[in-house]
Amino acid sequence: MVFKKYFIPRFIQYITVLLIGITMVFIIPRLLPSDPVEHQLNRMTAQGQYLDPAAVEEMRETLQELYGLKGGLFQQYLIYWKRLCTGNLGPSFTQFPTPVIELIKTSLPWTVGLLLVSLMLSWLIGTILGGIKVSFPNSLLTRFMEVFAMGMRPIPYYIMALVLLIVLAFVFPVFPMAGGYSMGAEIGFNFKFLLDLLRHAFLPILSMVMLEIGGWFLQMRNVASNIVEEDYVVYAEASGLPRRKVILHYIMRNALIPQITGLALNLGFIFGGALITEIVFSYPGIGNLLYSAILAGDYNLIMGINIFSIVGVSTAMLVIDLIYPLLDPRVRYQ
Amino acid sequence: MKSKSTALFLILTVLCLILSCSIWAINPPRNEMLIADILTGKVGNPGNFNYWATWVGNDKGLQQLILDPLWMADYVTGEIINVLAKTNPIYTDGFTKLTVNLREGIFWSDGVEFTADDVVYTVKLCMDTPGFGYHTQFNQNIKRVYKTDDYTVVFELKKANSRFHYQLLDRWGTCRILPKHIFEKVKDPLSFQFNPPIGTGPYKLVEYDLGGYWFLYERREDWQRTATGMLYGKPAPKYVKFIYYGDAAKKAMAQINHQLDMADLTPESLQVVLAKNKHARGYYKDFPLAELLHPCVTGAAFNTLVKPFDNREVRWALNLALDAKSLALTAYNGAVAFSPAYIPALLPYYETYYERLQPWLEEYTIEVDGERYKPYNPNLPFEMAEAARERGYAVPETEQEIRKMFGYGWWKHSPDLAEKLLKKNGFTRNSNGKWLLPDGTPWKIELVCLTSATNPSFKWAFAIANQWQEFGIDCEARPTEQVESLTETGDYQVVGGQPAAEPFGAGIDLYRAFHEFKSSYFKPIGEKRVGHQSRWVHQDLDRIIEKMENTGYNDPEVIDLGIEAAKILIHGQPGVSLASFPGFMGLDTYYWRNYPGGENPYAVPWYHWPNFKFILPFLEPTGRK
Repeated sequence: MVFKKYFIPRFIQYITVLLIGITMVFIIPRLLPSDPVEHQLNRMTAQGQYLDPAAVEEMRETLQELYGLKGGLFQQYLIYWKRLCTGNLGPSFTQFPTPVIELIKTSLPWTVGLLLVSLMLSWLIGTILGGIKVSFPNSLLTRFMEVFAMGMRPIPYYIMALVLLIVLAFVFPVFPMAGGYSMGAEIGFNFKFLLDLLRHAFLPILSMVMLEIGGWFLQMRNVASNIVEEDYVVYAEASGLPRRKVILHYIMRNALIPQITGLALNLGFIFGGALITEIVFSYPGIGNLLYSAILAGDYNLIMGINIFSIVGVSTAMLVIDLIYPLLDPRVRYQ
Repeated sequence: MKSKSTALFLILTVLCLILSCSIWAINPPRNEMLIADILTGKVGNPGNFNYWATWVGNDKGLQQLILDPLWMADYVTGEIINVLAKTNPIYTDGFTKLTVNLREGIFWSDGVEFTADDVVYTVKLCMDTPGFGYHTQFNQNIKRVYKTDDYTVVFELKKANSRFHYQLLDRWGTCRILPKHIFEKVKDPLSFQFNPPIGTGPYKLVEYDLGGYWFLYERREDWQRTATGMLYGKPAPKYVKFIYYGDAAKKAMAQINHQLDMADLTPESLQVVLAKNKHARGYYKDFPLAELLHPCVTGAAFNTLVKPFDNREVRWALNLALDAKSLALTAYNGAVAFSPAYIPALLPYYETYYERLQPWLEEYTIEVDGERYKPYNPNLPFEMAEAARERGYAVPETEQEIRKMFGYGWWKHSPDLAEKLLKKNGFTRNSNGKWLLPDGTPWKIELVCLTSATNPSFKWAFAIANQWQEFGIDCEARPTEQVESLTETGDYQVVGGQPAAEPFGAGIDLYRAFHEFKSSYFKPIGEKRVGHQSRWVHQDLDRIIEKMENTGYNDPEVIDLGIEAAKILIHGQPGVSLASFPGFMGLDTYYWRNYPGGENPYAVPWYHWPNFKFILPFLEPTGRK
C-alpha cells in the first residue's frame, strides 16, 4: 500500500513526461527549415536525375503521398500516435522505404555497446579510486590519479580523441583507424569476433574512459571527503572497527548514492549517441544517424531516435526514484 | 602493492598486444586489392542495394562496379560510351520513336543472359511503381515500350523529345538497367533490398560492413561477359574495397600508411600526403596537382529577384570588382581553370565552345557614361602561369598547354569600372569608403555557402566575400547546412556554388545545363524551385532553348545554339561563373599505377563516378607485397 502510494504519482509523472516529450519530438523537427521532400528532390538531381520542373512537381506530390506528409498537422499527429501505439515508427524519408526501426536496430547496438562499456568502466574506476583517495590520501596511485583527473578534465574531448587516434592508429598503427569490425570477420557470438569488436572499440572506449573517469573520481572524492568527517565515521573509527569496514560500509556506501544517481542518468543518455566519438573514430552508431536525419529533415528518423532517448532518460529517472529507498535508508516509500 | 601494480601493468600490456593483433581478419592480399574512398561518406543503410527505389549510397561500389547504364558520358574524352547499348540512340518519326540496339553476350553476375526483356521490364517497373526514381519522368514521356527482338527495344514517346535518352545516359546517375529475373519475383519492389545485388558490371559483392563503413567486391570470373570486359578488357584488381575513413585528415593518414589508394582530399591534406608518402601523387604529378577540368562550373549565383541583384549592371559590377588571379591563388593556390561563359572548362568544350567564344569575349564591351570598356582578359592564363612560376612551380610553356590548364580567360580586375557602374545606378560611398545602397543605407551582402571546407561553394564564398569587403561592401560569407532550403525558396542574396547546372560533359549538347533557365520553369520567391538558384530568365534565352529542343542532340547546330545561349548568359551575368570544380585527389602508387592523370587523361579519373569500372582494366599492379 505504501509502495503503491509512492509509485503511482511517480508513474503518472513518468507517463506525462513521455507524452510531452514525444509530442515535442513530433513538433520540433517540423519547425526546421529542412524539408525531407525537398531534400530528396535535391538528392535526385544531384545524383544525375534529369527532371524538368513539371516532373519535379509531380515527384513532390508522389513523395509527400509516400511519406505521409499530406494533410494537416493534427491529422499527421494522430497518424503518428496510431503508428506509435502499434510499435511502428514509420519509414525513414532519407532512406525510404526502410523502416526507422530497422535503421535504429542497425545503429543502436554499436552505441549501446560503446557507451555502456565506457560508462561502466569510467564509473567503476573513478568511483573506486575516488573512494580510495579519501581513504588513503597519501598513496602514490591516488595522488597520481588526482593529478591525472585534474589534468584530463579541461582537455577538449575532440583533441584528446584525435591524439589517441594519431598516436595509436597512425604513428604506431596498432589499432584500426575506422569501423566496428574487420573485413572477413565471422560475425557471431564467438571469441574471435568478440576480440575483433573489442579491438575496434578499444580507442573509442579508451578516449571516453580517460575523459569521464576524472569526473567520477572527483565527484566521489568530494563526497567521500565530506563523509569522512561525519560523526558516524569518526564514531566507527573510534569504536575500533576495522579500517576496511569503515571505508567500505561507512564511507563508500554513503558516498555512492550521488554516484548511482549520476550513473543512472548517464545510462539514460546512452540512447542519444556519441556523435564526436563516432566521427573521430569512424565508429558506427546512432549519433551519426541522428545528425544526418536532422540535416535532411527526416522527421520520422529524428522522432524514432529521440523517442528512445526520452524513454531511456525518463525510465532511468523513474528507476532511480524507485530504488532510492533501497540505497539510502533515510528515504522511505512515503 | 608494488607486485599488484606490476601484474596489472603486465595484464594491460598483454591485452593491448592481443587487441592490436589482426591475425583473425581474413583480408584479401593487399596487392590484389584496390582501396578507394566512399566519397559521399558512411552509408546509412548498407544492406540496401535497391538503387531504383531509394538513396542507397550509390558510390559504395554499386554504380562503379555492379550496375550498368545503356550509355555513359565520359567528360574527359567527350565521348558517349555505348555500354549495354550497342549503338547511339536512334530517333525516328520526328523524335517520337527511339530505338535502342543492345549489346549481345552480356550476362548478369548470376549467369542469366541480359536481353531486351530486362530493359523493357526496368522501364515498365519504374512507370508502375510510384517512389521509383524515374517513375515520373518515364510516365511523362513514354507512350509504349516494347522489344522487337532480344536485342532491340523501342520507345514510343507521347510527344517529340529529341533528348529522351538523357534519362538513360549515365552521368553520376541515370536509370540503370535492373535484372528482370530477380525483380519479377518481388512483391513490393519499393521495399525490396536487392541484397546481394546482381548486376551486369564486372564485379560482385563479397561482403559489407553492417556499420556502413566499407564494402568489398570481387572481380567476376566471367568478366569477359560484361560490357567493361568487352570494351576495355580484364579489370586488373581482383578485389576492390570502398571504405570511408572520415574527414580529409583521416583519409590522408590512411593514404600515408598505404591503406587508401584513391581519395578525395583538400589541397592542404594532399600536400601532407605528398610530403609523407613518396609514392603518392595528385591528378597531376606536380603543379597544379588537382583535376581542374570537371563538368561543373563553380563560383556563385545571385538571387536575381532580390534588390539590388535584380539589376544587371550591379551584377556586372560585382563580377568586375573581383580579382580572378588573386581569388584563384587564395582559394586554390592557383589551381583553377577559369570558366567565364557558364560552361565548365573542359577538354571537349574548349574546342567546341571556348575557342569559338574567345573572339566575341575579347570584343565584348560595357558602356558607362558614354565610354566603352572591354572587360575580358584573355591573358589571364599566362598571368596565372607566371604567378605559379613565381611560387616555384613548374608550369607548361606552350600557349596551348597553358590554356588547357588555366582556361581561356576571365574578366579583368576593374574596380574603377565597377565603381562607375554602381554610381550610375545610384550607389554611393560613405565617408569611410563603404558602399551605400541607392536609398542611402549601408550595402550588406550575405553570401551563404556549404559547410564543407573541401567544396568550392565554401572556398569561393570566403575568397569572394573578402574581395567584396576590400572593394568597400560590407560582405560576410556564412556557411550553413541550410543552403538547400534557403536557395530553393529564394531566401538568400548570393550563394557560393554553381551559377549554372551541370552539362553532361560529353557530346556537343549543353541543353542539360541551359534548359534550367527556361522562363516556363520560373517560380517567384517563396515558391520552391530545385536546380536553378539565380531564378534568372530571359526571353532571348527562351528562344534559344526552344530551338535546342527542336534540334537533335548531336546536330552540329546545337553548338551554335549553345554559343548563343552562353552569350546571353554572359550579358545577363546571373552569377559569378568562375571556374570548373577543382578536385584534389590523392593517388597512392604503392600497389597500383597508371591511374588516369593530367599527363595521361584517358578516362574520368574519379572513383565515385560510374565510369570507375572503365579505369580498372588500365591499372597495373606494381608487384609490391
